[in-house]
Amino acid sequence: MSKTSIWTFKLSTAAIALIPAAIGINYLGKLFAGLLKLPLWLDSIGTVLASMLAGPIIGALSGIINNIIYGITVDPISTVYAVTSGAIGLVVGIMAYKGWLKNVKTAIVIGLVVGIVAAIISTPLNITFWGGQTGNIWGDAFYAFLVSHNFPVWLASFGDSFVVDVPDKIATVIISYFIFRGLPNNFNTIFRGSDKIEEL
Amino acid sequence: MSTMTLYVEKNSILHNTAPLTKVLYVMVSIAITYLIPEIAFVLSVAIITLLLLILGKVFRKIVPILGLSIILILSIIIVQGFFHPQNQTILFSIGFVTFYKEGLSYAALLTLRVMNMIMSFGILILTTKHDELVEAMIKKGLSPKIGYVLLSVLQLIPQMRTTMAKITDAQRSRGMETEGSLLVRMKAFFPLIGPVVLNSINITRERAIALEVRGFSSNQKRSFLNISKEYRYQTAIQVILWLTLAAAIVWRILTWLS
Repeated sequence: MSKTSIWTFKLSTAAIALIPAAIGINYLGKLFAGLLKLPLWLDSIGTVLASMLAGPIIGALSGIINNIIYGITVDPISTVYAVTSGAIGLVVGIMAYKGWLKNVKTAIVIGLVVGIVAAIISTPLNITFWGGQTGNIWGDAFYAFLVSHNFPVWLASFGDSFVVDVPDKIATVIISYFIFRGLPNNFNTIFRGSDKIEEL
Repeated sequence: MSTMTLYVEKNSILHNTAPLTKVLYVMVSIAITYLIPEIAFVLSVAIITLLLLILGKVFRKIVPILGLSIILILSIIIVQGFFHPQNQTILFSIGFVTFYKEGLSYAALLTLRVMNMIMSFGILILTTKHDELVEAMIKKGLSPKIGYVLLSVLQLIPQMRTTMAKITDAQRSRGMETEGSLLVRMKAFFPLIGPVVLNSINITRERAIALEVRGFSSNQKRSFLNISKEYRYQTAIQVILWLTLAAAIVWRILTWLS
């Protein structure tokens, strides 16, 4: 059997059914993090897991739909960041496919890359929509510090997203990595490619 | 079955407006406030949105949604008021804290835009049923598969919330500590999220089989269970909205040129 490309657009039913589950996991990650009073959001574990299991397209779709759903049910502001979430899914999916999921160290590298990409994409959104801030107290304090020391707005805004996103995304990817490793092996085959579907 | 929704069952003009017209209103009203950076204009758009909310009898429901963004709004006012790069004119000082005119007027513009964004979303989500919205979008050409994903998420999340309560209780009864130092709380995260993930991925497999049996991947044209409601004057409203957007774009281009 030939290996299916990572860009398969013919999505299997199992892979599509994974998207709601991923969004649910995102939501619960956020709830549990709040319940345990952790200083992180951990609200993209589902997106990251979906990318690891089913590739970049499903991961990106999970991310985008996640923010749209969140926007129409809880917080309209989050719709703006649908692009960022989509990119997170895309990056994790591609890096996982390229073999960066070998061990914890490489998983940390994925987290770092994801955090930086998320910050890069959020920065223009933050500048256009709210003049550069994120609404996170620590990040905005850092923004205020940079702007008052005459740094340009775009750099200050990037710093704002950076200090918020990078630690969160590294933690998210590490947690997802351990969960992914703990999954039974047959899970990994279900969601990859459409030719596996009849084995269900 | 319970779903996640902010929809308020009422009878108003907005409830009897086609979902896609409301989607168009959300997009246009947000876009024009960013295209035309004049405070008076943005204020009037926000007031129109506010009036529409009152017309839809859902004004009280928007307050908690606005409350969620209060930190962002406060942060905009404080940080821009203090630190806006073009700050020159001192407006007033409280103790050692000085607010500047330029920063505050910029902050006012941003705040009005954010409030308008949230309120116009409110018009859509408080007066539209999810299934009607998704069905209207599928009729306009959205893939039915994506439509399924959107609607099933809204049912899945309340289900997962009950699972979450069950798992938290089960793990606590086994002696898991959920309070204490950061390390203790971080360790507790895995036994909590692990079972939920396993459970939901397992269910996904069953769900996939069930969907497949019911012709989920069929390429036939879909028929609809619900007869679509008849809405009046929708084309006229939509044309006005498109014209407003076009006018805003023209205004923007003209100001650039001059």
